[in-house]
Amino acid sequence: MAKNIYIGEISKNKEIQEDCFLMKVKVAASFETPLPGQFVMIRIAGLNDPFLSRPISIYSFSRRNNFCLIELLYRVVGKGTQIMAGLIEGSQVEINGPLGNGFEIQAVGKNAVFIAGGIGIAPMSLLIENLSRRFPSSLMTLYFGAQRETAVVGLDKPQKLCHDVNVCTDDGSLGEKNLVTQAFQKDMKKFLPANTSIYACGPRGMLLSLAKILNKGTFNCQVSLEERMACGTGACMGCAVAVKDKKNTLAYQRVCADGPVFNLRDIIWE
Amino acid sequence: MKSKTSPQIAVHLGRLKLKNPVMTASGTFGYGEEYADYVDLNRLGAVVVKGLSLKPRLGNPPPRIMETTGGMLNAVGLQNIGVDAFIEEKLPFLRKYDVAVIANIYGETYDEYKKVAKKLSAAKGVHALELNISCPNVKKGGVSFGSDPKVAARVTQAVKEETSLPVIVKLTPNVTDIAVIAQAVEKAGADAISLINTLTGMAVDLKTRKPYLRNITGGLSGPAIKPVALRMVWEVVKKVSVPVIGIGGIMTAEDALEFLILGAKAVQIGTANFINPHATMEVIEGIKDYLTANKIKDVNEIIGTFQP
Repeated sequence: MAKNIYIGEISKNKEIQEDCFLMKVKVAASFETPLPGQFVMIRIAGLNDPFLSRPISIYSFSRRNNFCLIELLYRVVGKGTQIMAGLIEGSQVEINGPLGNGFEIQAVGKNAVFIAGGIGIAPMSLLIENLSRRFPSSLMTLYFGAQRETAVVGLDKPQKLCHDVNVCTDDGSLGEKNLVTQAFQKDMKKFLPANTSIYACGPRGMLLSLAKILNKGTFNCQVSLEERMACGTGACMGCAVAVKDKKNTLAYQRVCADGPVFNLRDIIWE
Repeated sequence: MKSKTSPQIAVHLGRLKLKNPVMTASGTFGYGEEYADYVDLNRLGAVVVKGLSLKPRLGNPPPRIMETTGGMLNAVGLQNIGVDAFIEEKLPFLRKYDVAVIANIYGETYDEYKKVAKKLSAAKGVHALELNISCPNVKKGGVSFGSDPKVAARVTQAVKEETSLPVIVKLTPNVTDIAVIAQAVEKAGADAISLINTLTGMAVDLKTRKPYLRNITGGLSGPAIKPVALRMVWEVVKKVSVPVIGIGGIMTAEDALEFLILGAKAVQIGTANFINPHATMEVIEGIKDYLTANKIKDVNEIIGTFQP
């Protein structure tokens, strides 16, 4: 009996890029400090439509005098996030979290490489913050891709903390006109698998092409996945992802409770 | 202000005694441990675990769930670790609690139902079995056992021969006349009847014109189905004398009380757990509050007091 549902109060909810919102939520000081890659289930207090809570990864977290501030960076993609986007300062939300397993942070070698697509930057930003504090001597490189300049978001902290930030857009309106995975592939020779950890989050297509690129080598790559969820706590079995289990056979694991971070090599792309 | 004496809320389902009429619905509460951080399991009427099969089941490929207005569709396909792993890995955890444990069981053949029932009856710490003859998301077994009264009766009888535990039979709403199935399983020896399982439904993605669920169809649950569940419980309580457990879209104590007034001896909370992990506790407290406010000393005094 340790976990509570927290009532959060929105202190800010602002569109910071096209369809991308930054929500700041104040919760009680007893809220557990999240690990990078963990998420919360959020719903509007007292509202049954949308019916289910929404899983949103944690973008930033800080402790204040007598409360905690959770920052969520989210893109409006459907009914739930549309309604979230309309919430004003002072509105109440119910927060269950932090949930799931964060990134496994080994003693990072010389290089930490981050590959993020679109709103997938959110957990990457928290991870970059965390790693730069814990392993200040490691070289951090971010590859970030978005459709166009107006969709580029969440780079404030990475630009301060990473040694190298490579921005790609599909239309070339900002940075290189390229796919983020191809930009990384071009640079791959610079990194040695033995002293490089790769972390990725982004759309399925991006992760799939990353899987193909990394398939032959021996790089270790952790990815954070997204899936529709009902409970977020491992009970409903709704957010299944196909993975190779210990016996190397197909198993469905829960993105919420077994993930959302998985080893890229374990994922079976159907 | 707290009243001096708290109302009596224990109920009996035949020989199965429950601390209160609120249980969890199978498939919405994992094996209990998933919610043990949120809910004091000791306070529940019973924990009904995820449906167990003889061998572990992989379940259906994703996507498996979709939100709908006032509910959700699921096509999980009874993914579970299998009865042996349940007994070995999950049951010891549940034994630590002072709570009735009800194992929901599923088979593709009569023989599988019997074998699963036998294993669970030999394991310590299971207080009753609930036969899932109503899952809409599996190709074999499941609902096909629950939509024909003769088959439903035969599987009930087959399990009864293997176990001395109370046997609850969980019915599907996806039939023309649910009371006929209820009467058939009662005659075959069911100790109690629970209803309803999910209603078969669909959702279409306009962008791709594909189904939102990989399985195409799924089971609808949540508050959207409560009126249907109430109607079916009403139809069944009129026709059987064994205890009936009401399930379907219960979110609040008021919802649960509707089922009790109709004649259900107990209720199961399902989808509500997903969006509010404390739902079961709130329903228990809400039932007590209602009884206190209405000066009713015992929850049994309101069961079956419907005034049509």
